[in-house]
Amino acid sequence: MAALVSQDDKSKDLESGVNASAAVLPTKNGRVAGKDQLSPFASVKLSVFLMCLMALTILIGAGVPQESQGGQEKVFEVFGNQTAEWLVRLGISDIYHSPWFLALTATLTLNMIVVSFQRVFPKLKLLKNSLPFFRGQDILKLPVHHCLTLAKADEQTALISDLSVRLTKMGYKVKAEGSKLKGEYGVVGRLAPSVTHVGLLTLLLGITITSWTGFTGFQPVLLDEKLNFSDSQHSKLWIGSLPKWQVRVDATRRENYPGGQAKQWFSNLSVVDDKGKVLHQGEISVNNPLTYESVDIYQSSWGLAKVAVSFNGHVRQLDLRPMGEKYACFLPLDQDTVLIMSLASEGKSLRVFAKRREWQAPKLISEIQSGKSIKLGDVDVVFEKAIPVTGLQYKRDPGLPITYLAFGIIMIGVLLAAVPHRHVWVAFEESRLYIGGTSRKAKVGFERSIENLVEKLKGSFTLQEQLDQGEQANV
Amino acid sequence: MSDFQLYLTNTAGLSSVASFWVFVASNGTKRFNSIALKVANGVMLLGFIALTVAIITRGIEAQRFPLANLYESLLWFAWATMGGFLYLCRSYGIQQLGWLASLLAATMFLYGSWLPQSQHDISPLVPALVSYWRQIHVPPLIVSYAMFFLAGLSGLLNLWQSGRLRSLAFCVGTIIAASSAIGLGTFSKVDTQWLQLLFVASSVLGPFLAFRSLSVQDAAIEQSKAAKKNAEMYDDVGYRCVAIGFPLLTIGIITGGLWANHAWGSYWSWDPKESMALVTWLSYAAYIHLRIQRDLSAEKLSIVSVIGLLLTLLTYLGFNSLGFGGLHSYGKFK
Repeated sequence: MAALVSQDDKSKDLESGVNASAAVLPTKNGRVAGKDQLSPFASVKLSVFLMCLMALTILIGAGVPQESQGGQEKVFEVFGNQTAEWLVRLGISDIYHSPWFLALTATLTLNMIVVSFQRVFPKLKLLKNSLPFFRGQDILKLPVHHCLTLAKADEQTALISDLSVRLTKMGYKVKAEGSKLKGEYGVVGRLAPSVTHVGLLTLLLGITITSWTGFTGFQPVLLDEKLNFSDSQHSKLWIGSLPKWQVRVDATRRENYPGGQAKQWFSNLSVVDDKGKVLHQGEISVNNPLTYESVDIYQSSWGLAKVAVSFNGHVRQLDLRPMGEKYACFLPLDQDTVLIMSLASEGKSLRVFAKRREWQAPKLISEIQSGKSIKLGDVDVVFEKAIPVTGLQYKRDPGLPITYLAFGIIMIGVLLAAVPHRHVWVAFEESRLYIGGTSRKAKVGFERSIENLVEKLKGSFTLQEQLDQGEQANV
Repeated sequence: MSDFQLYLTNTAGLSSVASFWVFVASNGTKRFNSIALKVANGVMLLGFIALTVAIITRGIEAQRFPLANLYESLLWFAWATMGGFLYLCRSYGIQQLGWLASLLAATMFLYGSWLPQSQHDISPLVPALVSYWRQIHVPPLIVSYAMFFLAGLSGLLNLWQSGRLRSLAFCVGTIIAASSAIGLGTFSKVDTQWLQLLFVASSVLGPFLAFRSLSVQDAAIEQSKAAKKNAEMYDDVGYRCVAIGFPLLTIGIITGGLWANHAWGSYWSWDPKESMALVTWLSYAAYIHLRIQRDLSAEKLSIVSVIGLLLTLLTYLGFNSLGFGGLHSYGKFK
C-alpha cells in the first residue's frame, strides 16, 4: 500500500511557486529515486487499483455466506441449488481461501513493500533538508500570499520581531535571517506515511509468525471431561507442536439477568498432565480467558448438552437440541407418538410433553423437579440432572506481541496523518511586507489563519494591503 | 427510559428538525440571512447539548456505557453529526452544510424513533458485550461514520458549487435510493434480496452516471468566483472530515480486533460487518492516496466521497437491515 502522504509536500504544494519549488526540491541529488528509477510495483496507481479490487472482493465475501463460517449448506439455503453450485465452483462461497484472493493479497503485499522502500522511506531523508528563505517575488507565487506596504519604515524591525512571536505562538517553528522569516508547522505530520507503512510491514511480520508457528482451535467439552488439543478441531500447525497437557472442565454455569437472559458464562478449568496432576487452575468467562504456557483458553459458547433421566432405575443420557432459548430431546414411543422433554436452563424443572400425529401441538404431561420422579404409566421417570457443555476456543499466537506493536504503530501513523504540515515565509523588501505559505491539508483553515494574522498586523502597524497584479487589472 | 431522558432526546430531535428549516429558510432572505444562520446554529447547539445530556443520563440510568444497541448507536451518530458540523462551522464558517447535517441528524432521530420499544428500553447486555472494550471499540467507529457522512455531504455541496448539477442529481438520487432500501429493510417485510439489489444497483449506477456527467457544467455557476471559492472550501472540508474519520475508523477496526482476540482468541474472522469495515477503510485509503497524488479533480473526488458515504451506510446500517448475518448482529431487532 502506498503512502498516506506519499509525495513530499514540497513537490506539489509549491507548484505555484516555480522558483521556490526549484529551490527546495532536492530530487536530483540522488537521494530520492526519480520516477524512471522506480519499480513498476512502486506505482501508487497500482496501489489504488489493488485496493479497489481488494475492497470489491471483500465486499462480495461479506455479501455471500462463506463456507468457513456457515458451512456449504448455508450457501445452498440462501441461493438455491443452481446458483449455489456456481458460487461454490467459482470459489466465491469460500472467497478468502480462493487462489484469486491469495494472489491479490500477495500482489498488494508486494506493492506495499516496494512502495514502502522505494517511495515512502526515502522521503524521510528530505526531513533533514531545510527550506530556504524566500524572496518577495517567490512568496507572491505561493497559493496563499499577501503583500502589504508599511507606511513608517522605522517599524520594520518591530514588525519582523512581532511576526516571529505571533507565528511561534501559532505553533510554527520560526527561523529568521535579516528581514526574512520562515516557519514550519506540523512537521510530525510528514512522518505519517513512513510510520503507517512501518506499522503495516510490522503487521505483516506478526501475521507471518502467527500463521507459521501458532494454532487455534475449538472444542465443546462436557462437564468433568477434558479438552485434548490433538483430538479437537484445530488449524494446521507448521512449526512446533501441540501441548501435551489437557484441560479439564471442573464446573461450568450460566449466570442470568433477573429476566432470565444470559448475562455471563463461567467455566472452572484445571490444566492437568497425562498423569492427571493439576498444573494450573482458573475460572474463565466471556472476555476473560485463561493462559497457560502461552496458550489462551476462551469461553466461547455455552449450552446444555444432555439430560440424565432414569427409566425404572436405568439411567440414560439423552442428547438435547437447542430450541430457541430452551433445549429439548425427542423420544419416539411408537409410530405416532413422541415424548418430548424440554428444559429451560440448569436448575429448572424438566417439562414432559407428548405429541401425537393427529394433535396440532404437544400436550404437557408433567413437570419434574431435579432429583424428583413421576409415574408415566408403568414407568418411573426420574430427572437425574442436566449436563452442560462449554465451548472452549483456544489459541497460541507467538506473533501477537509484534501484531499488537504493529497496531500501535499504525494507529500513531494515521493519527499523525491528521496533522497538517504548513510552511510560512515572510520577506520585507523596499517597505513591502510579503507573507505567504502553503498547507496541503486544511487549506481553508490555513488561509484564514494567515488572514487573521495579517488583520492583527494591520491593527498594530501602519500596514496597507497591496492588490495583486491580476486584481489590479480587474479593478 | 425515564421521562427526563425522553424529554432531552425529543428536544435534540426537534432541534435538528427546526435547525434544518431555519437553515433552508436562510437561503430565502438576504436581509436576515446572517441572523437566520446564527439562529439555526444556536438551535443546533441546543440540540447537541440536550443530546449530550441525554446520552449521559441514559448511561447513568443503565449503569453501563450507553452504546449497546442500534437505537443507542443512532443517538451517538446524531450526536457526532451535530458535533462534527458545529466544529466545521467554527473552523470554516460554512453554513450550507448545516441544513444537510441537520437533515441527516433528524433522519437518524426519526429512524431511531420508529424502532420497536424494546430498542428504546434499557436492556441487559448479552455476555459478549460485557467488556470494557465496548466503550473503546464502538465510539470511534460511530464518530468516524458520522465524519464520512459529512465528507460525502460536503462532496455534494462541492458538486453543486462547481456547477455539476447533473452529477449532483445522480449522487442525490443514489443516496435516496440506498437509504430507501435501508429504511424498507428495517421497517417493512419486503424481500431483502430485492432491497439488496436496489442498494447495490443504485450504488453502482448512480456514481457511474455521475462520473459520466461531470463534463456537463452549469454556465452561470462556472463563471461565479464566489461559487468557485465555495467549491474549493467544500472540497477542503470533505478532506478534513476524512482526515478525522480515517484515523478513527482505523482505531475502531484495530480495537475491534483486540477485543475479538481478547474474547474469542482471534482478531479477525471475516465476519461480514468487520469485512465491510475493512472495505470502507480500503475505499478511504484509496481516496487519500488519490487525493495526495492529485490524480483526480475535486469533483471526481467528491463522487468518490459519495461512494464512501454509501459504503459507510452499508457498513453501519445496511448489513443488519438488508439481511446479512455475522457476529455483529446486536443491532438487529427482527
